[in-house]
Parts: sequence; C-alpha cells; structure tokens
Amino acid sequence: MALPEPEPAFATDAPRPADAARTAAKVLWLLLPVGLALLLLAPFQLNLYWMRVLSMACMYATLAQAINLIAGFTGYPAFGNVVFFGIGAYSAAIIMVKAGGSFVLGMVIAVLVPLSTVLLLGPALLRLRGHYFAIATIGLNELVKALVDNLGPLTGGGMGLSVPLPPWGPVQTTRVFYYLLLATLIASVAVAAWLRFSRLGYACRAIRDDEVKAEAMGLRTTMIKTIVWAISAMFTGLVGAIYAYWFSYIDPSSTFDLLIAIKSFVIFLVGGAATVVGPIVAAFFIEYLSTVLWSQLLDYHLGIFGLGIMLIALYTPDGVVQFFRERGQVLHSFIRRQDITAG
Amino acid sequence: MLVSQIVVNGILLGGLYACMAMGFSLIWGVMNLINLAHGTMMLTGAYVTYVLWTRFGIDPILSIPFSAATLFVFGYLLQRYVINRVVLRSIFFTLILTFGLDMLLINFNIVLFTADVRSITTWYSGLALDFWGIRIAYTRLLVFVLALLITLALHQFLRWSRTGRAIRATAQDPTAARVMGVDTAKIYAVTFGLGSAMAGATGSLIAIVYAFSPVIGDAFTLKSFAIVILGGLGNMFGALVAGIFLGVTENLVSGFGEPGYRDAVSFLLLVAILVLRPTGFLGRRSYGVARA
Repeated sequence: MALPEPEPAFATDAPRPADAARTAAKVLWLLLPVGLALLLLAPFQLNLYWMRVLSMACMYATLAQAINLIAGFTGYPAFGNVVFFGIGAYSAAIIMVKAGGSFVLGMVIAVLVPLSTVLLLGPALLRLRGHYFAIATIGLNELVKALVDNLGPLTGGGMGLSVPLPPWGPVQTTRVFYYLLLATLIASVAVAAWLRFSRLGYACRAIRDDEVKAEAMGLRTTMIKTIVWAISAMFTGLVGAIYAYWFSYIDPSSTFDLLIAIKSFVIFLVGGAATVVGPIVAAFFIEYLSTVLWSQLLDYHLGIFGLGIMLIALYTPDGVVQFFRERGQVLHSFIRRQDITAG
Repeated sequence: MLVSQIVVNGILLGGLYACMAMGFSLIWGVMNLINLAHGTMMLTGAYVTYVLWTRFGIDPILSIPFSAATLFVFGYLLQRYVINRVVLRSIFFTLILTFGLDMLLINFNIVLFTADVRSITTWYSGLALDFWGIRIAYTRLLVFVLALLITLALHQFLRWSRTGRAIRATAQDPTAARVMGVDTAKIYAVTFGLGSAMAGATGSLIAIVYAFSPVIGDAFTLKSFAIVILGGLGNMFGALVAGIFLGVTENLVSGFGEPGYRDAVSFLLLVAILVLRPTGFLGRRSYGVARA
C-alpha cells in the first residue's frame, strides 16, 4: 500500500539559496582560468600606460585581499592597514639604499618587519573592537608616519628616499613588476581560498559572528586574530616593497597614505566581504574608473572619488559576488527548469 | 619662565580642543557613529568666518553664530538624507561614508578657497597681556573663554532643554524613547546638526588664532578621538581635562623636543590609551551606553 506523496515544502523550481550560491560560485571559478590566462598574456598586447594601470589594479587587489582576511573573514576593520605598506616600502628601501642589500633581501625584510610588528602589537590592539580598533590602526599609521618623517638620517625624512633604478630596459621593467605583482595577487587569492575552507577560516568567521561564543567554544581567539592579521600585514608589506622598487622613490606622505587604505577598503567592500574572487573583480573596476577620472578631472579628482565612495557606501549592499549570486539564482532555476522539462 | 609660558599656551589651546571634541563626542555617543569628516567640517566653519571677515568685514567673534548655523543646517540635512541610510549597517559603511564625505569637503574647500594657508588679522590680533612675565595673547585668552562658554552652553542645553532630554533619552535607549513619543529620526538629525554646529563654532575660534588650510582637518579628527577616549565619551569635564592635557603635552614636546613630533604626541597618546585602558581615564559616560 503506497503512502501518498508528501507535498513539497516549497515550489520545486525555486532553488534553495545554498544551491544557487554554489552554481554562481562554479560559474565564477570556471571564469577564473580564463581571467588568469588573459592576465598572463596581457603584457604582449597592452602598451606601457595600460600595463601600469593593470599593475596598479593587481597591487590594489592584493591590498584588498589582505584587508579581506582581517576585516572580511575576522570582522576587524583594519582601516590603517596601510601602515604595513609604508613599513614594507621603507624596510626594503633602507635595506637597498643604506645596507646595499639586494631587492630580494629587501622583500624578505619587508615581510618580516610587518610580521614582527603585528606579533608585538597585535595581541594588545586586537582586544579593541569596532570603531576603537579602526581608529587605533589609523593612529598607528599616523604615528609611524610621524616617526619616519622625523628620523631623517635613516629614512630621509620628508625628503624621501630614492631607491636604485632597476637594471632592465623600460619594457622589461614594466613586465617584471607586473608579473611580480600578479604573482603576489595569486598568492594572496590562494591564501584567501585556503582560508575559506580551513579550520582557521571557520574560526575567523566564528569570531566575526560572535567573539564571546567563539571563545566559549574553546577557540584561542587572540592567537587566531593575531595570526590572520599577521598574514594580512605580510602581504601588505610585500606589496609595499615592490611599490618602492617600482616607483624608485618613496616619501612618508605617499606610502603611509590613508587614501591607499581607503581605496583598498572600498575595493574590499565592493567585492563583498569574505569572498575570494570579489576583491579582484572590484580592483580592476575601481582602478579603471579611477584612471579614467584621474586623466579627465584633475582638480576634482579627490571630490569625485569621495563622492564615489559615498555612493558605494550607500548603494552597495553586499558586493559584486553577492550580485552574481543573485543572478546565479536565476541561472540556477533556469538550469533546473531545463532538467525538469527534459526529464 | 619658558616652561610656564609653554604651559599657559597649552592650557589655552586645550579649551579649543575640548570644544572640538565635544561635538565629535556628541555624535559618537548618541548615534554610535564616528564622523571622520569632523576636522574638515570644522575648517569649513573657519572658512565661513574667513569669508565674512574678508568680504563683509564682520568681526570673527561675531561670525561664530553664522558658522555654527551653516554647519547645523549642513549636518542636519546630511544626517537626514545621507547618513541615516547607513547608520544601522556595519561600521565599515559608516566609516567609508564619512571618509568619502571628508574627501569631498576637502576638495570643495580647495576649489572654493584654494589650498593656500589663510589667517585672519584683526586690530586686536597682536595685543597681549603681561602676566608676571608670561605673555598671554588676548586672542588666545578670548578663544579659550569662548570655547568654554560654547562647551558649557551645549552641556546645559543637553541637560535642561526638552530637545536635550530627548537626545539623551534616545542615546540611552532608542526604542524606549520612541515609545515615549520621541521622534528619534528627527532627534538623530538634530544631534548630528548640533555636533556639526560645534565643529563650525570651533572652526571660527581656530580662524581667530591659527593659520589654516583645507588639508589639516584629519589631524584634528584624530585629536578629537584621542580626547574623547582620554576624557570619557560624553563627559564635558573629562574633555576639558583631556584637551588641556593634550594641549600642554603637545606644546612641551614642540618647545623642548622636536617640533616635528608635535602631532605624533596625540597619535602616540591615542594608541597608548587604547592599548592600556580603552575605557578612558576619567570615566563616566553621560550619553548612555556606547555600543562598541
């Protein structure tokens, strides 16, 4: 005797959100190799100007990914993360100029100094939450900037430091820095992707959602937060070192520039918190937009950028990946419907 | 003698700092919002005073109501139509929004008033009082007294007026305030307007004593933050003590040490206080709970 078929709890062609997200994720991940191939081949097609724009986009995408680790996954708004960019740039430059070291050594030091800074200050600063943490990191950035500004013999003070020019021709130099920044970007994406599915990543999101409960579950929250911030700082420092050699001149106001932090933060927000691909898409979009504006409206650039940031804050609810997830929902139901009619 | 001169100047500067921080603290305490454009809004107030002085010859002291009113209207409309839309969302958005506003205002000030450093010289600008060998400029003394009066006026307004009580009630518990018939949306806009008006008034005071340019606002914003943390959120007396402490320390550092480290003092204080004692040193919160 057959039991009657139970009524489905929801309409069969309406996808469950989780399925839709997965479909969208699949589409995005499938696009990734295509995008990667395009990025790898770009230097053979584009002129030097657009190579520079693309390199900047890679740089900002990495910085945004670094913000994503601490702010998106862990919920700590490290607004002044640019301090590690400046520290990295200055570490590499001082190694190369004052100690006569190689660029590779400079990069290593530029990773190690931010790492030790976070290990030293992280446990104390990461006790702060919300606004307090955001402003503390801004304060740290301004403090280090003032120190660099005044330690003339070591840092060149407000005059800045000139780093030796790379020994290659202009085309080659452009390509070297582009591939270097692209490699850093890929590494940061790999770390974010790993974090998304690792125990550490789940612990981060547990902290973000409810730190007290996470601690009650036995997570060593201070250690976890410090590790993640350290990873974020190391990437930021590395990018700073590459920037120093690439631009071959640095000064305090251009490296400890809050605008860099804000731009990477905006890219992170547009990309969507705690996603892997989002910041990349957003970085290329924002960098393109910024370049177009920069060349057109020099006097109003700051204001237009400010206005753009305000509009983004007002009208970007969850970032581009969420946008694609919603579209993914449509896509998903379309595919399902095909299945149903076929079967 | 030099020390006492430096300390006196520091104290006089501290009054100005307290006035500046009170507006910042009001918005933060009531709406749980950090206004990163506070310093630049203050400079807009300074430019209102500058324009009234150069174009119409209105004395800087008399221009304070104008700059306060201008900024009040600006703040009220801004909160009502822009900030209100993100105020309940994650702090990522409010910080980004007010930073964007900061950039917009800086650009606006540069386009309208150029990036040149401006200052106002009135007939009483150079006069000074000789107090047992300590030279006290009349303008600085005047600005100190005015700053105290403005701060006190805000405090009394919040304490005794109907609107002030509504503001404090909203800060303590928005839901309960609504149940009691307070139009909280309007109160938020009024609060932001009042905080902005404080910024405008402080800007006028700054214009009387100091030279200013459109790009120096962000340092003032961070100083406000340091003072609020040091003195306690919403605590007027605390803000005054913290402001004077910051003013004196800054002046001592630039007087005896390296002038370049002047601004570093407040940043160091900021980070040190947050690390050592995030709840501040002078305790009591009078706007209700800050939801950090």
